[in-house]
Amino acid sequence: MKRLLMSSALLLVGGIAQAAEITILREVDSNNYDPHKTTSRAASEVLFMMGDTLVSLAPDMQTIDTGVAESWSVSEDGTTYTFNLRQDVQFCDGKPMTAADVVYSINRWVDPETKSPVAWRAGEVDSVTALDDYTVEYKLTAPFSELLYQLTQSFGTIIDQANVEALGDDFGVTGFNGTGPFCWESWAPRDQMVITRHDEYAWGAGFHANTGPASMDRITWQIVPEENTRTVGVITGQTQVTQYVPYIALEQLKASPGVEVVQSDLAFWTYYMGFKIDKETVSDPAVRRAINLAVDQAAMSEDLFFGVVQPAYSYVSQEALDWNAGLDDKLLKFDPAQANAILDEAGWEMGDDGVRGKDGVRLAPTAYVFAGSTWGKISEAVQAYLREIGVDMQIQAFDATVAWGKLATQEFDMYGMSFPYVSSGDALNLYFRSQNAPSPNRMNWIDDKTDALLLAGATSVTDEGRAEAYGEVLEMVHDAAVWLPLYHEPMVIAQSTDLETVVPHNIYGAGLYKGLDLKYKE
Amino acid sequence: MSIADPEVLDAPAPVLPWWQRLLRDPAALAAALVLLVVGICAVAAPVIAPHDPFASSRAIMQPPVWAERGDWLYPLGTDGQGRDMLSRLFYGTRLTLIIGLVSVGVGGAFGSLMGLLAAFQPRLDPWVMRFVDVMLSFPAILLGLALVAVMGPGAVPVVVALAVATVPDCARIARSIAVSVMKQDYMEAGRALGVSSMTLFTRYLLANCISSIMIFISLRFGQIILIGAALSFLGLGARPPTAELGMMAAQGRDFLLFAPHIAIIPSVLIFVIVLAANVLGDALRDVLDPRLRS
Repeated sequence: MKRLLMSSALLLVGGIAQAAEITILREVDSNNYDPHKTTSRAASEVLFMMGDTLVSLAPDMQTIDTGVAESWSVSEDGTTYTFNLRQDVQFCDGKPMTAADVVYSINRWVDPETKSPVAWRAGEVDSVTALDDYTVEYKLTAPFSELLYQLTQSFGTIIDQANVEALGDDFGVTGFNGTGPFCWESWAPRDQMVITRHDEYAWGAGFHANTGPASMDRITWQIVPEENTRTVGVITGQTQVTQYVPYIALEQLKASPGVEVVQSDLAFWTYYMGFKIDKETVSDPAVRRAINLAVDQAAMSEDLFFGVVQPAYSYVSQEALDWNAGLDDKLLKFDPAQANAILDEAGWEMGDDGVRGKDGVRLAPTAYVFAGSTWGKISEAVQAYLREIGVDMQIQAFDATVAWGKLATQEFDMYGMSFPYVSSGDALNLYFRSQNAPSPNRMNWIDDKTDALLLAGATSVTDEGRAEAYGEVLEMVHDAAVWLPLYHEPMVIAQSTDLETVVPHNIYGAGLYKGLDLKYKE
Repeated sequence: MSIADPEVLDAPAPVLPWWQRLLRDPAALAAALVLLVVGICAVAAPVIAPHDPFASSRAIMQPPVWAERGDWLYPLGTDGQGRDMLSRLFYGTRLTLIIGLVSVGVGGAFGSLMGLLAAFQPRLDPWVMRFVDVMLSFPAILLGLALVAVMGPGAVPVVVALAVATVPDCARIARSIAVSVMKQDYMEAGRALGVSSMTLFTRYLLANCISSIMIFISLRFGQIILIGAALSFLGLGARPPTAELGMMAAQGRDFLLFAPHIAIIPSVLIFVIVLAANVLGDALRDVLDPRLRS
């Protein structure tokens, strides 16, 4: 009896002292967690939790709030930003963060040697200098209206120079020393990433219900490629939260006890397939236009995604800032008869095997996509539509850890991708700058006029000027049909009712942002 | 009583031809019938498939006809892309059988030739068999994975991988059978009569080994089908939109909770084909192997 009482007491104490841990399921992993060497959402999801940025973005996707900078000022000509840093910020290893760390981080981001595919997001940097230990001066050669927004992205994460130099090529692979609410514990690629609470963290932005330290002791980001398994994981409580739930399961999840589904339509996240426009299969604009006309996005949205997503005909949402409304009536929509007519007219003749050809070129473009249920479904649906017009699209799927590298090559004719943005300019600057080829400008869209217009848009000091410049680029790329837009995705998060209701964030599609508000109900 | 006394000798039971003995085994008969039906469906796929196996319809995840919302238009329902399951099964079986037959045929022929040569030419024996030992040290599925990784996904690399994986086992079996045949008096007699090496190899050695080798290859067929389906299930085999049973099962995983028929039907068909092949292989061994005749 005495022993029984003793063991019960031990169990009780153990229960009380049990650490708050959660498992978050997701579909794919990143190729690395170096903020300057990857553009994947999977990396941003974890980097937001492990690191901090100068400024942060509120869930309304408009309000810029404090980050490691507690205040900032902008010069009248819009080229000099002065950031005053908080003095209580520490890295996970206990080292205080100073202006020198910020200067190092930004300079590494824009250094051509780093080869960051998103260096343009930092603006046309003239210099970044430390005026004192807690003041940073960020000088641009030309104004950049989106700079503060761009600095909220995970690419602007403040990193530790000593950590980067100590780890070398393994930085973001075997370790990462950041100032975020969580610290790196371990990463098993394609399996799981484990992060633990940063106990000293107390510098969260005001829009978080909890400014730190985080409520969770430990977070495990678990890769589960099969959506069915993720659904079961949510229902059976093996995961407490995930934003990678199949839309087919939403009704069932909503009806399941212990599961809550939250949704935000503020997300600008678009799925598309791009064409490498200098490949002989898809170099002909007629082929690209025909492919655009052959695919029924509305049916795909309804059939594959149960109407939860919005069919896309434009390269960015028509609700996005600086969208060119003049293109609304010109967008290419499902019309297979016209698609066939365009191909016939362009001289692509139907072969005996049902595949078109011209001048010895068989119209069988190779498409690189990510392995996994989402792109599996999308690419096969597109493939079936294209068969109807005599285009034999060859699908090659790669695991995410390999796919990013394969997608930076010149091997493919088409590729599948999805991306987040807040404005048309954000999306256009990412994909259509000549200097961004071969990745993320995987289309090889090399055009001086586009570059000039993008620069004019980015440095414009008036809203009209910016909208006009970006509007013209939108018209050029839509006319050239360099993409096949597929659908715009909302942010949907399924969570356990044991947790406080999550406020979905849309920053770079990382629905849980810094993870500060993840908390078990009392 | 003299040895020659006919009264004490049992008259040997007449030995029936092998196919007659096979027909007397109900399990073998059923297995042969199943494989025959499957084979006919596979060969006649373009004629009997009710729909285009690659064309999507708007009827997504339609259940089979026996389920509540079933429709005779799609007797086995549709998959996650709205493609007719029955038509895809016909085409999928076709590819699965082709992969199995070609790889077992090619691998079996190469392996058997290597084994027979090793037994026929003793100076080749150590070289051939050590090479086979090296190949044997890789499990078939691992060898398949490695080859597909090098050659890229697709049906052809899978066939090559499975054929290569079949070679070492066949070589060993063929050699062991051939070694015992080589010790027979008729081989000695053939040599003494001055029969050419080629005739000795084909008419004396091969002719006396072939039935045992065929038994082994027929047993191997089911296993190879299973490995081929496994490679396709892992995404290393046939590429979309090609229908292949393993790949169809893999594609059905995502819908297991909502439309289980998409994964279950091709999986059951794989099971049936492999079971039938194994049962038939066992029965063939029973009727063809002289040592098992009783």
